[in-house]
Amino acid sequence: MAQRTSATRIAEPEPPAAAGGSGRLAFFLALLRARPSYALGYIIVGVVVLLAVLAPWVAPFDPVRASPADFLKPPGWPYLMGTDATGMDIFSRVIHAPRIDLAIALAGTLISAVVGSALGAAAGYYQTQRGVGAFASGFVMRAADVLQAFPVFVFAIAVVAVLGQSLQSIVIAVAFVNTPIYLRLMRSQVLAIRRMRYVEAAYIAGVSDLQILTRHVVTNAMAPILAQLSVNIGWAILLTAALSFIGAGVEAPTPEWGSMIAMGYQSIITGHWWPSIFPGLALALTVFGFALIGSSVEVLADPARRRALAGELEARRRLRLQARAAGAGA
Amino acid sequence: MQLLAYIGRRLLFVAPQLVGILLVSFLLLKLIPGDPAVMMLGPFATDDGLARLRQELGLDRTILEQFLIYLGNVVQGDLGTSWQTTLPVTTDLAQRFPATLELVTLALLLALAIGVPLGIAGARYKRGVLRTTADYYGLFAGALPDFWFGLVLIFVFYTLLQVVPPPLGRLDYAILPPATVTGSLLIDSALAGNWQALRNAAGHLILPVATLGLINAGPILKMTQSTMERMLESDFSRYAEMCGLPDRVVARKALRNALPSIVTIVSVLYGFLIGGAVLVEIVFSWGGAGQYAVGGVLNADLNPVLGFVLYSAILSLVIYLLVDLIYFAIDPRTR
Repeated sequence: MAQRTSATRIAEPEPPAAAGGSGRLAFFLALLRARPSYALGYIIVGVVVLLAVLAPWVAPFDPVRASPADFLKPPGWPYLMGTDATGMDIFSRVIHAPRIDLAIALAGTLISAVVGSALGAAAGYYQTQRGVGAFASGFVMRAADVLQAFPVFVFAIAVVAVLGQSLQSIVIAVAFVNTPIYLRLMRSQVLAIRRMRYVEAAYIAGVSDLQILTRHVVTNAMAPILAQLSVNIGWAILLTAALSFIGAGVEAPTPEWGSMIAMGYQSIITGHWWPSIFPGLALALTVFGFALIGSSVEVLADPARRRALAGELEARRRLRLQARAAGAGA
Repeated sequence: MQLLAYIGRRLLFVAPQLVGILLVSFLLLKLIPGDPAVMMLGPFATDDGLARLRQELGLDRTILEQFLIYLGNVVQGDLGTSWQTTLPVTTDLAQRFPATLELVTLALLLALAIGVPLGIAGARYKRGVLRTTADYYGLFAGALPDFWFGLVLIFVFYTLLQVVPPPLGRLDYAILPPATVTGSLLIDSALAGNWQALRNAAGHLILPVATLGLINAGPILKMTQSTMERMLESDFSRYAEMCGLPDRVVARKALRNALPSIVTIVSVLYGFLIGGAVLVEIVFSWGGAGQYAVGGVLNADLNPVLGFVLYSAILSLVIYLLVDLIYFAIDPRTR
């Protein structure tokens, strides 16, 4: 019942809201036109996600079936990117790989963002209070210090070694390594926001700690977290591939970019470049796409930079209109 | 005097920090399944032999006791033995840590030589080729997997063009290495007057240094560019411009004020690369410290990993201390 009412309410014509919605979309499209590099990022990631979803139907061959007779065939027909040393089709494996790489990176990054933000929010909120809260928040921060004192990569390998080699372990390793980033980010945000008047007002109005945190503090601290998120997914993909490259991540023959690069590593010296080069290119392009999206989110999530950008886009639009008017006049 | 007190205060915190880091790594590594005694004696070991070895290694005691014994040995300068190389960890690391340091230091110098000028150019010009190059370089370098980029360089410069030595370590087998003084092959062979070894070592360094240097120029470039932009937009630069000072002078003043952030990013990268260079070390069979530690984790060989963690923690602490001292020198506000 409640659901239906809300659905009908959205369906009802609401001129201001509707205008706001299309205005936001128009702003986004204008942004993509003005900054082609952002558009490139969204296109790359869109294509990769699409390929990951459609891989079983698009791939010409079974990604894990080896045909030993056709080993190390150079790129051509029917093997678009050639075959590796065991005779598996590289193109089919390259487009299957994001299913694993993206899934691990997304899961690991989201877990670290949720856990890190929650801990960071609590640590920031309770830091200035006395008693257990302050002690706990100090403890969390020292734990993050120790965690970050470790060489990232050695730590990730150790986590996988402790938990045993599996997809879940890689996700947990990725999450572990990234949690301190969100912890620090959220804590510094919360420390700044909790001094704001509206937080004090809520406190005086008798709102509970948990509600102040979730309603007033965290919602206003989300922007940098979101910007960090898309950059971080890129890193997480790199970390997953790196773990697999040294044999502590996804195991062959499961199609995964890092382990594919490792499989082709021996043949590159003898001049068979394709088993390593293609998966590496796909990996680099994907991470590049996420980095571009990250820099667009960074601008969009920062109100001051967004306003400056909106002003620039508006000026461009005026210029274009003027030019068009001048053209029509002449 | 104030400075000495500051350094003293910093050093006071070093010992507890190191113990904390060691404790956590010890506990974490002890959780790794795999019995070192079984691995050392192989599949044909007798139960009796295993039990004796476990007792010898102290594996039959509680974890806390084991840690205290380890800590006691560390204080006396004994980091234990690696069962893989059968050598004391201090001997192994004395050989491998300088290899990693030489690689990382040269790579960061290259990264600075690329990142800082390009970052400054990117900040000074609002449009144009330099600006576009700077913008894309920063993003793309961060996206490249270093181990793959190293392979690409090997393929182009070794397999195709044959202008560099094979990616197998720091020296050709036929070359007699110079006597170890600093551990850096370049410096040692120059000291010994061994020009053949010097040339050979330099040749082996080219590709791994290029790999790490080109990639890590990205973050340095980004940091330089964004800080320089902020400095060029700040009031003191505007004022200098209004006074009619030439652009070059304004840029130099802005750079002076952007230096602390550049120093910071370099120190962060240095600490990161000590362990983070491991993949490039593997690709080039460098025999560095990171490679040693990863081998330890994968084979339940505890002492090398703990030794590596300890060394790199000490190194990071030294670097951060140095950075703070550099701040003192370049930023009068911190004094």
